[in-house]
Amino acid sequence: AEVCYDRLGCFTDNIPWAGTAERPIAKLPWPPEQINIRFMLFTRQNVLSYQEITPVDPSTISASNYKGGRTTRMITHGFVDKGDENWLKDMCKMMFQVEDINCICIDWKGGSRTSYTQSAQNIRVIGAEIAYLIQLLMNDYNQKPADFHIIGHSLGAHCAGEVGKRIKGLGRITGLDPAEPYFQGTPIEVRLDPSDAVFVDVIHTDAAPLIPYLGLGMSQALGHLDFYPNGGEQMPGCGKNVASQIVDIDGIWEGTRDFVACNHLRSYKYYADSILNPDGFLGYRCPTVEAFEAGNCFPCPTKGCPMMGHYAPQVRPATNAEQFKFFLNTGDARPFTRWRYKVTMTLIGDRAVKGLTKVSLYGVNGNSRQHELFKTTLRPDSTYTGYIDSEVDVGDLLKAKFIWNNQQLNPLLPKIGVKTLTVQRGKDRQEFTFCGSGAVREDVLQTLTPC
Amino acid sequence: PPQEKGIFINLDNGELCFQSAQCKSKCCHRHDGLSLARCTSRAAENQECSPLTLYGTYYRCPCESGLHCDTDITIGGSITNTNFGICIDRNEKSISD
Repeated sequence: AEVCYDRLGCFTDNIPWAGTAERPIAKLPWPPEQINIRFMLFTRQNVLSYQEITPVDPSTISASNYKGGRTTRMITHGFVDKGDENWLKDMCKMMFQVEDINCICIDWKGGSRTSYTQSAQNIRVIGAEIAYLIQLLMNDYNQKPADFHIIGHSLGAHCAGEVGKRIKGLGRITGLDPAEPYFQGTPIEVRLDPSDAVFVDVIHTDAAPLIPYLGLGMSQALGHLDFYPNGGEQMPGCGKNVASQIVDIDGIWEGTRDFVACNHLRSYKYYADSILNPDGFLGYRCPTVEAFEAGNCFPCPTKGCPMMGHYAPQVRPATNAEQFKFFLNTGDARPFTRWRYKVTMTLIGDRAVKGLTKVSLYGVNGNSRQHELFKTTLRPDSTYTGYIDSEVDVGDLLKAKFIWNNQQLNPLLPKIGVKTLTVQRGKDRQEFTFCGSGAVREDVLQTLTPC
Repeated sequence: PPQEKGIFINLDNGELCFQSAQCKSKCCHRHDGLSLARCTSRAAENQECSPLTLYGTYYRCPCESGLHCDTDITIGGSITNTNFGICIDRNEKSISD
């Protein structure tokens, strides 16, 4: 079957759009009038209240603050969500702090608050409508395709892919946890893929399989750079018990959204946080999360690591052909930024003792908390390696502090200390070496100073 | 092995609490008298802290292990649990003094 809408073209439900293993239920997309797609323009001249523009009536655009000759970023929401939800306009607001752009929040709740299988088809019409608007903006405001960047969350990510299929040379698409059902394992014309824009970056935060883990996002790599923060499946801070989750710091509504899809929503929270904290989300290129946790993919190459989020295009891998997976750890609450260090230490002491070691880092910009490194048998003259994701960017290191303890009585009052400690900073591979004098008893801080 | 998930004990940071003993971090923290208390990390060196008290919750967390909350404890303050200090490392201070 097929349905055609003026201005937007025809849409079929033949294979691969439906009737396949991934897409058993066939649905045709709704007409644009029923979906009632709304474009809400924010600029630095109107940060708090939007101006509604529509390609159907170009006078709304000429009357607005829309200006050619600068980047236009468009943000689309996903299933069940809506365009005037806070996270879209808050993201625009943060972008205005760092750049002068046209920021358009796209609302299609008319087509997203229905069955998922219908919503997954509706994004084709929404993608066509956005492409129609971009075409008009390019004609009347001398904009080039490279000036446009579409940020799509969940179904919105594949909707951005639809736009990319219609606008050749679209500047950038950012997929925030692209939706898995009806898209994972489908051909590239159906889902988001690297051919949809000059640069496609994706953040996976709910990549566990839908069955049985209720993971809503895709695990499959979709772009030029695919980031899997915290491994991409279980985000820190999303495992809270029910009461703590719903009664959120930002209120009951945000808490309820998190209760329903905490991992899935983290993708846009990380992106928003990256706008004002560029180097707080460095991605380390690695084949698997296990390899990353084991430290095989550390530190960054000399060229530097790409930054997950807003500034991803700044560090691009050599070839565009291959797809690259990147891993990093984030915080469990805002700010989600973390800075990764490798710590290698050689211990001294009078005897071996089982225990947990912690290290805190001190630098020109401040000091970090005590971070657990490893829980093992601490043997004098042995060397141990661990990794720290510091919540503070301490800058160039001045000193470090070491402390150990174990949850048992130590009648012999053993002493363990650090002979030498080397800290390597991930982002620029720089090393700092410190030495300690003597050994300390349990729960006593040992200061390590430059050797 | 994931530590056992507790509703009332072994709570992670961000989870609601009424007694610091419930939290893995041993600090049940609230911003002000009216806000809900949540488990939070203990204070690092140079951060604001409150000395260990018998109350369940803190306006400022006690210090991490090995650090001391340097405050001039006033009787009034200890009753209203509002005297705060800064976490310092006494070992290092004595070396450098």
